[in-house]
Amino acid sequence: MQPMFRYTHRDTPIHRLHPLVKMVYVALTLVLVMYPITAGDMPVLLTWLGFSAVLWAVARIELQRFASLFKILLGTFIFLVLIQGFTYRGGHTPLIVLGHLKLWEADLGVMTREGTWFGLVLCVRILAATSALPLFVMTTRASAIVTAMNRLRVPQTASFMFVSALSFTSLLFEMWNSIVEAQKLRAFDIDSMNVFKRAFRAYVPIITPLILLLFRKGNDFQIAMETKGFGAPVKPTEIETLTTRPADVVWLGLIVSVFVVCTVIKFAG
Amino acid sequence: MASDTIISLEDVTFSYQEDVVALRELNLQVRQGEFVVVLGANGAGKSTLCYLLSGIVPHIYGGRRRGNVSVAGLDPWDEPLYITSQHLGVLMQDPEVQLFMPTLRAELAFGPANLGISREEIARRTEAALALTRLQGLEEHNPRDLSGGQKQRAALAAVLTMNPAILVLDEPTSQLDPLGRWEVVEAITRLKEKGDLTIVMTTHETEEILHLADQVLVLDRGATVLQGPPAQVFAQSARLEQAGVKTPALIQVRADLLGRQRQVERLPEPPGEEGACPQTGGEATPLEGRLDQLTVASVAQEIRAQVEAGRLAVRAGAVPAPLFARPDSPVILEARQLTVQYPGPPKVTALRDISLEIRQGEFVGIVGQNGSGKSTLVKCFVGLLRPQKGQVLIHGQDLRKMSVGAIARRVGLVLQNPDYQLFTASCADEVRFGLRNVGVPPEKIEARVSEALQHVGLAEEADLFPFRLSFGDRRKLAVAATLALEPEVLIMDEPTTAQDHRGRYQLVELAKRFHEERRATVLVITHDVDLIARYAERLIVLCEGQVLLDGPTATVFSQAETLRKSFVVPPVAAQLARELESLGVPPHVMTLEDLYRVLRPVQGEVVA
Repeated sequence: MQPMFRYTHRDTPIHRLHPLVKMVYVALTLVLVMYPITAGDMPVLLTWLGFSAVLWAVARIELQRFASLFKILLGTFIFLVLIQGFTYRGGHTPLIVLGHLKLWEADLGVMTREGTWFGLVLCVRILAATSALPLFVMTTRASAIVTAMNRLRVPQTASFMFVSALSFTSLLFEMWNSIVEAQKLRAFDIDSMNVFKRAFRAYVPIITPLILLLFRKGNDFQIAMETKGFGAPVKPTEIETLTTRPADVVWLGLIVSVFVVCTVIKFAG
Repeated sequence: MASDTIISLEDVTFSYQEDVVALRELNLQVRQGEFVVVLGANGAGKSTLCYLLSGIVPHIYGGRRRGNVSVAGLDPWDEPLYITSQHLGVLMQDPEVQLFMPTLRAELAFGPANLGISREEIARRTEAALALTRLQGLEEHNPRDLSGGQKQRAALAAVLTMNPAILVLDEPTSQLDPLGRWEVVEAITRLKEKGDLTIVMTTHETEEILHLADQVLVLDRGATVLQGPPAQVFAQSARLEQAGVKTPALIQVRADLLGRQRQVERLPEPPGEEGACPQTGGEATPLEGRLDQLTVASVAQEIRAQVEAGRLAVRAGAVPAPLFARPDSPVILEARQLTVQYPGPPKVTALRDISLEIRQGEFVGIVGQNGSGKSTLVKCFVGLLRPQKGQVLIHGQDLRKMSVGAIARRVGLVLQNPDYQLFTASCADEVRFGLRNVGVPPEKIEARVSEALQHVGLAEEADLFPFRLSFGDRRKLAVAATLALEPEVLIMDEPTTAQDHRGRYQLVELAKRFHEERRATVLVITHDVDLIARYAERLIVLCEGQVLLDGPTATVFSQAETLRKSFVVPPVAAQLARELESLGVPPHVMTLEDLYRVLRPVQGEVVA
């Protein structure tokens, strides 16, 4: 499986955008999804998600990557829709009736239309929240991220950890897949197990080798980093020169405008 | 110490914290611009020497040291790593753990940026390193997307941007395929040709460094056993063998067939080592001529001259043509028009319409470059991958209709890295795990556990924690865990990886015994053509997802032109046999042992 967080080199307006403008976009996304949520927030969230989709398209990021993100979250979405469908307090229009089990204001045996809708709103909120960071890291060079973080006074170690973690995820994916395959060869098939089996017994043969391998690789990473001067008591060089262009101001204006529109819709509605 | 000495070790003894002595009384003087090769079996102390020179000990791994070490005028023991790293760069075996930035450009800038070097200088060094390692155009690629050889060259380039005066290379080609190895050795050769860099390189691949080495140091259990110019060191094949080091095949042939070892001359003692290396010096002579000019053609020419002079006789019948094909034995595994595509991005077609049959009792070698489809093919055979098109059949039954457990009982795959599967507290538990998963009755499990451990020689270690075993023994444990399931087909993926000359055939020997005792079918994926020549009766060569060649091993190795497409070079013995075919040497000679049976000294002539 391809990890989501991978920089893809392209020459698009989003790739050329000042990293701090992209960081503003990520920050505003987080603010927007942190607003107290109601069932009526769907238009706000869809507007922001639509805006994000436009940014993804302008950045020419393959739809497949978005599909991967959706696939990862699909289980959570189904869970949210079901749990909200059956437990939403304000639900009164039955969609599916399995029986009747009253608990406070909710009837746990009935899946309601309002509850299902609220579950869908939560799903869109999660999707809006999780689509911002990948866009940032997939369109911004590592050195630009580090320089931008330095501008925000983030310590060098922390910005290096962030950047190397992005790279490390692919190694983690590879190791996970190799371990799952190795155990399948001994008839231990985690993919065919249900959630409960996985939780209770399946992860030991997978997690144990993963942790042992990570310890070992961690040592090697330390050697590779420290023999390249990491931790030297000098101010590291900023590789990337960040310059502000008129286009950055335009994009910043656009992002803030969309955010303001969403906020107005949210609180005016 | 001479004025141009850049590395100096005097009476250095080092032990790790557990009191394991890793280096004993080591002496080494390296002049600026010199290329030193360090050879030795696994555990000989090669990596420890690299750690000692680069300051990784004591700054990352602890230990105790006696004696003096000077590297570019500094003692790495006393200096912080960021100081030593400005003089000495170190490249390790595994490129995966040396690349941690999302783009190659960021990777190359990482080291000098940490030292506060100016942006312009970093750009200049980056361009120079990219040019030297021939990685231009890949600056914005994620290093993890590169091929094995490119990754190691990227790691090398990242070291070079630190602008070191000394480069330490710890088995830089051991995890690469032949093409990757060639690419890395080519980059190292260019570095040597530049002339201003001092290089210390450890390796098991003696053939690779023949044209590079100025000085060779052979270690055995931490002590120096041989030290000197390569021509002198490689003349001592018996001692090299004792130390677990392979003598390059062409040198071995010259020594064995042309009697070079009988011209006695003492090898000089290593500097300052009088009496410390009692084995040094002996019945050997420096080889004549330049080692880097030794070719198959030149050695064949020498043999031809010996035959024509009547000193060597050709006995064509001494090695009978091997029996191939068991047309009567049933087909056990079959691939029918297999096509496998990885979704990407980018999409990669790993197998293209492959059809082949494996018959019961065959011992088959599978070779090809990384990315040629070898691993994908065997993953289809064990059900880890489902082909988009085509079928895999076991005894005529479609694999898709079988459970993972049912497949595991029939086809066993031993992976390269045993550490992906080990997780229990004891070796016996590790073997039990698979047996329980496939539903073997509890009363039969113990017998099968002890039989499997016995087979691989780990019966004594049954209660030991698997990670206390050496890497080689952990691989044997993985074999035991597979054999316990009593599969009809055993597949081994790169059984020689990370093994030294002495231990490299241990796993294949286990497979051979399994093959002979149970008439089992064995498939071995490898880059080691000597292994194929020695064990496999049939050879399949894959190239770009298709079968390039498939047939008796000798026949396949005889098609050198076609083989070149997949970067597979036949073993030296096979190449010599083809060169000497006009003298009556049969073309099916594959190993040096076979060659020696065919080419015999005429009575009264002195040969080794």
